[in-house]
Amino acid sequence: MITTLVVAAQRGDTMAMNDLLGELTPFLGRICGPIALDSGPDAVQEALIAIFRHLRELREPEALYGWARAIAVREAVRIAKRDGRARPEELGEVPSPQDVERAVDIRDVLERLSPEHRAVLVLRDLEGVPEQSAARLLRVAPGTVKSRLHRARESFRHAWRP
Amino acid sequence: MSWPVAELDAVRRLRALASAIPGAYVAERVIAAPFAVVWAVAGDLEREFGTFEPDMRDVTVESAGPDGRLVARARSRYGMRARFDVDLAPGWCWMQSRFLLVGLAATAVPEGTLVAQTGGVRVPGRAALVPWGVRPAGEKALARLAARVGERAS
Repeated sequence: MITTLVVAAQRGDTMAMNDLLGELTPFLGRICGPIALDSGPDAVQEALIAIFRHLRELREPEALYGWARAIAVREAVRIAKRDGRARPEELGEVPSPQDVERAVDIRDVLERLSPEHRAVLVLRDLEGVPEQSAARLLRVAPGTVKSRLHRARESFRHAWRP
Repeated sequence: MSWPVAELDAVRRLRALASAIPGAYVAERVIAAPFAVVWAVAGDLEREFGTFEPDMRDVTVESAGPDGRLVARARSRYGMRARFDVDLAPGWCWMQSRFLLVGLAATAVPEGTLVAQTGGVRVPGRAALVPWGVRPAGEKALARLAARVGERAS
């Protein structure tokens, strides 16, 4: 089904492009939301723009979601950094357990992390992407993914695993 | 405990879709009226579309699918007829014929309703528009839509 839609969209059928956009938007919203936070809607828009501009380059339509995920994560980090208050790329201050317990939802804790840390969390913990693939996607060394994930996960493990 | 999810409003959706169509221009305008009032005009294909879309004289809905997908016949000011596939939902209208594309979106904003329009003459069979005149046509359509909303409110 999704393959048929991609092929029709690649051939210039704008109704198929419209349907494909409808299929992808909730998926992209789940990726861009935790990384870009308040800039999430802009990140989804920019991710969709990048996806549709390059759709004809997608050789294997069945790889759509993995391909779209990579674009969305990069766009969400870019937009979050563009719009964000200046935050260190590396986590400067790990939230204390008391801070975590006080957090009313996961968003409070996400806001304390850099966009790069949030991207690692989304890829590894929300999307289940293997470490090597996450590192390739984020264009960093696998060790960096591991350390970012460790520090971020430590800081709010209790927040999402009560 | 739930992860934040980003929503895409209809105007952002239109910008994204239009970006994939070479030659397309997205005209935008804020109309100082509530969304429901604006969409009562903008989304009324048969009675209102021809009052603001410059090249549409009348539109007739011929069939409706269960997924909200419509098939419509439209006649241009120059008498040409075309069969359109239409996706119509609150705040969203996307229409495609062999030779034309029309997209219209609306979303509530603090000042009223943000509306966006794109469309024009299609390069046959392709997701591309002949670029001449798309910008003034889009802006004209939204100016007419704003005027029509004003007429209905008065």
